[in-house]
Amino acid sequence: MVVLKHVKRDSACFISHIDMLRHVSRILRRAGIPVKFSQGFNPHALVFFSPPLAVGVSSDSEYLAIDTDMPKDEVMERYNRAVPYTISAEKAFACEKNPNLQAKIIAADYIFDVAFAPLDFSGGFEIEYTKKGETVKENVSDRIINAFDVDGKLCMRLANGNSSLRPDRILGELNRRLGSDLRVTDVKKIAQYVDDSGLTVAVDEFLTESSK
Amino acid sequence: MDIKEKFERILSEVEKPARYCGGEWNTPDVKKPHRADMCFCFPELYEIGMSNLGVQILYDIVNKDDDFVAERCYAPGLDLAAKLKENNIPLLSLETRKPLKDFAVLGFSIGFELLYTNVLYMLDLAGIPFYASQRGEEYPILLAGGPCTVNPEPFADFFDVIVCGEGEEADINLLRAVADGKDKGLSKAEILQLVNGMEGIYVPSLHKDGETVKKAIVRDFENASFPSRPLVPNIEAVHDRAVVELYRGCGSGCRFCQAGFWYRPIRERSAQRCARLGMDMINSAGFGEMSLCSLSTGDYTHLEELENILVPFCDEKRVNLALPSLRISSFSSDMVRQSRRSSLTFAPEAGTQRLRNVINKNVTDEEIDNLAGAFEAGYDSIKLYFMLGLPTETDEDIAGIAEICKRLKGLYYLKRHKRGLNISVSCAVFIPKPCTPFQWEAQISFEEMLRRQSYLRGLLREIKGVTFSWHGAETSVLEAALARGDRRQSAVIERAYRLGARFDAWTEQFKWELWTQAFADCGLSVDDYIRERGTDEALPWDFIDTGVSKKYLLKERALGYKEITTKNCREGCNACGANKFGKCTIY
Ligand code: SF4
Repeated sequence: MVVLKHVKRDSACFISHIDMLRHVSRILRRAGIPVKFSQGFNPHALVFFSPPLAVGVSSDSEYLAIDTDMPKDEVMERYNRAVPYTISAEKAFACEKNPNLQAKIIAADYIFDVAFAPLDFSGGFEIEYTKKGETVKENVSDRIINAFDVDGKLCMRLANGNSSLRPDRILGELNRRLGSDLRVTDVKKIAQYVDDSGLTVAVDEFLTESSK
Repeated sequence: MDIKEKFERILSEVEKPARYCGGEWNTPDVKKPHRADMCFCFPELYEIGMSNLGVQILYDIVNKDDDFVAERCYAPGLDLAAKLKENNIPLLSLETRKPLKDFAVLGFSIGFELLYTNVLYMLDLAGIPFYASQRGEEYPILLAGGPCTVNPEPFADFFDVIVCGEGEEADINLLRAVADGKDKGLSKAEILQLVNGMEGIYVPSLHKDGETVKKAIVRDFENASFPSRPLVPNIEAVHDRAVVELYRGCGSGCRFCQAGFWYRPIRERSAQRCARLGMDMINSAGFGEMSLCSLSTGDYTHLEELENILVPFCDEKRVNLALPSLRISSFSSDMVRQSRRSSLTFAPEAGTQRLRNVINKNVTDEEIDNLAGAFEAGYDSIKLYFMLGLPTETDEDIAGIAEICKRLKGLYYLKRHKRGLNISVSCAVFIPKPCTPFQWEAQISFEEMLRRQSYLRGLLREIKGVTFSWHGAETSVLEAALARGDRRQSAVIERAYRLGARFDAWTEQFKWELWTQAFADCGLSVDDYIRERGTDEALPWDFIDTGVSKKYLLKERALGYKEITTKNCREGCNACGANKFGKCTIY
């Protein structure tokens, strides 16, 4: 099993998760990376992803686990020759088995293209968005883990994975509080975290540990 | 903020922004130094346009040439169009986001009559006047190509140049002439003078009565350029797969089929070359599906040889090899066993042997019985395609459609007992098209369409497991009216567009009342276009030399009325005349 850490930048931020799945199967085929397939009536490639990213958000920290016997460096080299720079891989990890990131990931850091200013969540953080044509209002402060300053910009750690908070959905409220005009394309995911026996650990660290 | 930045900002506010981003895998270098540039404009959404083989072929050819670059532009969705207008952004190309009006040549691909208003929709968004006569030197040369050039008259006034027939060679010749003309400082009018008379080139403004335009064809089809590094669509396209074109033209001679006559002479590629192209496409793009495409794929001479190469390759690469336009007469259960499809598709087109003889659809009842083999091989569902309103059709022929369904159910139960057979019957309305033996026929009236549809629906309702779908009657009338239209229709198309018609091919967008009003406003009537044409009448498309002679078409029509079939060209030449453009390579 090889896990690639790849980016999703520029126009690739508009490729939806479903389309990404489709692209990956073609990328692996044209890259000549041999992937194992599941058994059964409808065999599918054993490829696993980190949790979906909202359309429009870019990322420095997406993960793609591939069940293959090819050495990790060769996988990364072949992958990079078969993709545009907008989704290139920057690190490869070898793992014993599927790290199951989809289930293990609990949080992600997002950087917003706006100057950092302290935000107060003590009175809650009420957001409004439309879902399936209906307006939803909810207080999401329990899924905002932290807000901090990264190189002068606002960065937030939000719940990700099973109970996740989509960064695009908090933009309205952020803009209201900060007087900004942030759009979904002004958001970038920069790191993801797993729950490793009760500890919050960055995925890179987790994968490096588990590959030892 | 410049236009590009403005455009990028609105992208996050529209549906499926990846449609407008470009950067597809296998995109050629469109920034290389060049003598002239063009933009291929496709008057439909990205996911439909990206599935169009013709555009992919031409785009590839132009970009492979050292002297030229080609970009693309697909019709934007209505949401983006509104935002472009609101923000004063002209329509931009996909690759470099350049305004369309800054290209030397714009090439519209027109493959379907119901796309005519979308051409104007794109021009409108690009800020380009609709009529050639209204466009000065500052505007690009507007070119039209694609299957609808078989009768370009309805849209002739909008274009400077129309490439009738196959664009592979004509487009490059044209670009070269434009580049040469620009080097010499020639005006647009002078350039048009130069290209007028080149093979396949029709310049509406210079055309004189009595002149003919010879359709353009690719003579060396075996070696003709083909995109072995196809673009990989950013979002799911209608056909997301590697497509190998096995041959052009068709020997079946179905009397309603425009493509079958228009793309003659019949030119086949060798199995070796087809296989190479297919494998290169999979290796360079990674598609999970490959389809062999031609008008009647099962008739391809070297099909077995090709399958022997491709089946093991596709198995190894885990690629699904699909054979979609399989005709019943070329059906063999071996073939079905090898493909992994779950549903069969067949097109008997008519319900009785009598009517099939009229239209020369050489599918016999015994051949329908052959489907038993497919049921034995494990198929539980079948899609059947028919046409209503064919010349000489009676209610008995329509009842024959229901009979075929019953017969198939019977066959199915003889072979398999477990699940029931699912039959889906899809009915189009017959549309008399130029360049076919039926080009003079009337289309049945609107009321008659509805009556025949409901008659068939009633019959099919009594058979369990059959679902029925049909094409909209109004769109069929419009398609017929435009297919055999004349110059006066440019004004109708413009009027319809101004009234709000666009994306007419989309059921939810199609507004029939706009079209009836547009025809009326221009003093024309739809009925006049769908009536039977006299054989001595001058037809708007008569000036195009398709190779197939009018005499031959008339002879075929007469045979049709006598219910006499014409043999497949593969059994011997029927002397249609098309081989004056080059040999039919099927023997
Ligand atoms: S020239 Fe002969 S073989 Fe060729 S398409 Fe015409 S009839 Fe058929």
